[in-house]
Amino acid sequence: MAGYLGRRLLMTIPILVGVSIVIFITIKIIPGDPVASMLGPTGSPEARAALHARLGLDDPLPVQYFAWLAHSVTGDFGTSLARHDAVAPIVFDALVNTLILTLAAGALAIVLGLLIGALTGLRRTGIAARIGNAFALFSISVPQYSIGLLLIIYLASNAGLFPVSGMHNPNGGGGFVDLFNHLILPAITAALVPAGIIARMFRSSVLDVMSMDFVEALTARGLSRARVMRHAFHNTVPSLLTVAGLQIGYLLGGVVFVEAVFAWPGIGLLVYQSITQRDLPVIQAGVLVSAFAFVLINLVVDALHGLVDPRIRT
Amino acid sequence: MTALTEAASLPDTTTISKPRRRRMTASATAAAVVVVLIVLTALFGPLLVGDPVAGDTAHRLLPAGTAGHVLGTDGQGRDVLARLVDGTRLSLLAGLIPVLFAAIVGTGLGVTAGLSGKWGQRLIMRTLDVFYAFPAVLLAIAIAAALGSGLSNAIIALAVILVPPVARVAETETRRLVDLDYMEAARASGASRSAIALRQVLPNVAPPVVVYCTALIGLSIVYSAGLSFLGLGISPPTPEWGLMVSEHTQYIYSAPFLAAIPALAILVASVAFNVLGDGLRDLLDVRGEVRA
Repeated sequence: MAGYLGRRLLMTIPILVGVSIVIFITIKIIPGDPVASMLGPTGSPEARAALHARLGLDDPLPVQYFAWLAHSVTGDFGTSLARHDAVAPIVFDALVNTLILTLAAGALAIVLGLLIGALTGLRRTGIAARIGNAFALFSISVPQYSIGLLLIIYLASNAGLFPVSGMHNPNGGGGFVDLFNHLILPAITAALVPAGIIARMFRSSVLDVMSMDFVEALTARGLSRARVMRHAFHNTVPSLLTVAGLQIGYLLGGVVFVEAVFAWPGIGLLVYQSITQRDLPVIQAGVLVSAFAFVLINLVVDALHGLVDPRIRT
Repeated sequence: MTALTEAASLPDTTTISKPRRRRMTASATAAAVVVVLIVLTALFGPLLVGDPVAGDTAHRLLPAGTAGHVLGTDGQGRDVLARLVDGTRLSLLAGLIPVLFAAIVGTGLGVTAGLSGKWGQRLIMRTLDVFYAFPAVLLAIAIAAALGSGLSNAIIALAVILVPPVARVAETETRRLVDLDYMEAARASGASRSAIALRQVLPNVAPPVVVYCTALIGLSIVYSAGLSFLGLGISPPTPEWGLMVSEHTQYIYSAPFLAAIPALAILVASVAFNVLGDGLRDLLDVRGEVRA
């Protein structure tokens, strides 16, 4: 197990290096000279050249890359152009809020996905299975911003059942109940796509396992349906774990739209606002931190996978 | 890349034990009809409706059903139906072009990787793996934001994130073909590498890639409209569904149902393309072993 984890960790390093290179390139393709905008129209050519040299912009690209990487690794993402404040604390505060939403949506998606997947996998015909399949296909296709807006229109703004936006009630309140109320609609919106994917994956995994010989053998031995199901479920755990873990990782990306629609103060909303303000350091840091969290989640999923399924450790 | 490859990656196992029906399901046929209608709207719709940009601020935010404005007017008094119909063109194109680009580049990379030796294959595929380490939407946003807003930049950003999954499908398929007898025969007969790639491999890799890409269209439409919604796509006043959603969201209190119209259009297009892609995949029995 330790060897498997070690190998898996080693494999993560080139991926993270690649991720950092991609982000660095996106910084470098930005048109325009950052120095010109920092100094404004009054900057003399000499001042410009001096600032260029001080910022290391005259260095060869590899040197610039390593300097940038060294800063990023130590949590120094530079200064926000719009907020004139260090980027790192802004991004990490937002990351916590995004993780709250992601975990809530992930839990909801897993529960929904398991129920629908089991239902459609065990009963392949009938009205319930049809509805389940249709729901899975539909939920995979829905754009989060569309469904989020529809929920706001029908349940929040007119009916007043839920708060329209934000994470806490600005006029006092706060606390867990308030947070929970604000969390419901964004979590449902974010959960739909992963719920559909988990449902379809779990369904095919249930179908696979139920057609295996051991299920027939156990039934033939006279085991009760419930006990046979327990054995069967055990065999679906590895694939379930993989897909559920992946989906929680993907939620980090999908929540951008959800956060933008519901004004949930996470990485997505931060990136969205930074787009309008052309605040690139914040956008890059937001994407970098999300990618890092994504790689980390995948690592944890693989470790758990190795734990429940000895076959993949080799 | 959440649903990126999802639509195409899950084999339908309902028919695992019985012979496969080679027939489109009713839902896939219905989806095909909707897709044809959307395409026809994009082609000819703009000829039938009024000017989508001309606004009359005296008649802003008229409710749907008003005489002359079937779907009402928006915040600047522009006819919503005209904008919705006219916007079909750009919304569809902005979804199709990245898929087309990804199909060509991804197939090229995948076939090259599949046919080259161990190191060439590793170099290409491991490089593409890096893109799987990002939540796709975020990567598209970062690229589009770096390039600056605009429709073409949004299209480039989307194309970049769609290439890796297509390349994986093409590579898997190519490597499956490499060991087959007819490939051996082609090599033995002295055919050059490029001739083998073009005449033996490409025709066999194309069908699964095409089916796979069909399943990507719905997603691509959703993402491109999403980029516009975030302010990274087409700039106003040109009508486009994602931009309309973002414009209409401002009036969510005064005219709540206004935002629902373009949001529903995107939803319908996405569902139609996905159901059709699903149906095609079952029909042709293609299994993409890829997740993005």
